[in-house]
Amino acid sequence: MIHPSEALRDYAVGELAADQKPALEQHLAVCGECTDELDRLRVTTAALGMLADQEIPQRIAFVSDKVFAPSPVSRFFGGFWNSAARMGFASACILGGALIVSTYHRPSELRTVVQTANVDVSKQVNEAVTKAVARVQADDARAIEAMDRKYQREYQARMVAVEESFSRMQMRLGTALIASNDLRGSGEGQ
Amino acid sequence: MIFRAVEDADLISRVRRGDVEGFNHLVSRWEKRVFNYLLRLTGSQEDAMDLSQEAVLKAYQNIRKLDDPARFGPWLYRIAHNEAHSLFRKRRPETALEEAPPERNAAPGFSMDLSLAVTAALDRLNPDQREAVVLKVYEGFKFEEMAEILECPVSTVKSRLYTALDLLKSELAPVSARGKFNDSSK
Repeated sequence: MIHPSEALRDYAVGELAADQKPALEQHLAVCGECTDELDRLRVTTAALGMLADQEIPQRIAFVSDKVFAPSPVSRFFGGFWNSAARMGFASACILGGALIVSTYHRPSELRTVVQTANVDVSKQVNEAVTKAVARVQADDARAIEAMDRKYQREYQARMVAVEESFSRMQMRLGTALIASNDLRGSGEGQ
Repeated sequence: MIFRAVEDADLISRVRRGDVEGFNHLVSRWEKRVFNYLLRLTGSQEDAMDLSQEAVLKAYQNIRKLDDPARFGPWLYRIAHNEAHSLFRKRRPETALEEAPPERNAAPGFSMDLSLAVTAALDRLNPDQREAVVLKVYEGFKFEEMAEILECPVSTVKSRLYTALDLLKSELAPVSARGKFNDSSK
């Protein structure tokens, strides 16, 4: 008798195709060796099954830690890109917004505002420059005036000193002439 | 399993919209199973916990790469499998895993003799055989899902599982008085 060993093992581990089961079960009904083999396989798997699962020492829940959690922004965009409905709604909003903007858009007004703004700015700049120049010119005038006064004072002081020196020299010269005349008169008398 | 897959797909779509709590809910449905899978591979609670954390973190970071949300389970297990084997490769020079399996404690609540016998029999399998048994017997995956997790053909998965079951059977269910089973496929 041929023993269907592989089909028997497949049967023992629950992998035998449904359409092959009737033939195997018919064989088992008349084959003591295969029945014994099936019993041994079942005893073996039953013995293995007595090693029960152990409880996990600690839960694996680290993903709820903030470090691993995606930021609100990435969650938003992650959800956004994965949702066709949200994408469609956002596209409709953008399109509607663009239509409203184009309806109320006034390029000429915009230009006027820009031009007005430009005029105001240049006026303010010119005023500021004029004030700055006037301030610098006034400072310069004050400095020149002060220097002029100082020069005049020094010049006058020097002139006074020169006049005094000249007077002193005239006096010395007069004294010398008088002395010389005195000496000449006394010599003629002798 | 079908309801679980449906709810997983719903939670994944929430996660993809940025709902972090949805991912926590998803993790709460799978963490015990993934932890026990890794515990049976590594034999260390500490390693199993660390690897579970790593696997879940990678799942979170790569959730957008999951093609079919209904197949979150096998996808998560494949990440866990890769993490475990990455650890084994790092440690291989120091501890030859295949030659010296990690020490395991007997499961609480059962006969110590039987628990130890089952644990010892599992430890005598090579890592590939042991993982095939864990995925089929303890985690209840189908061959197609196991092939996806282990990234190998279904034929390889079946070969590893049935070789492992033959070895386990010889220790846990000795041959009866009727005689030895003649395998027609050999």
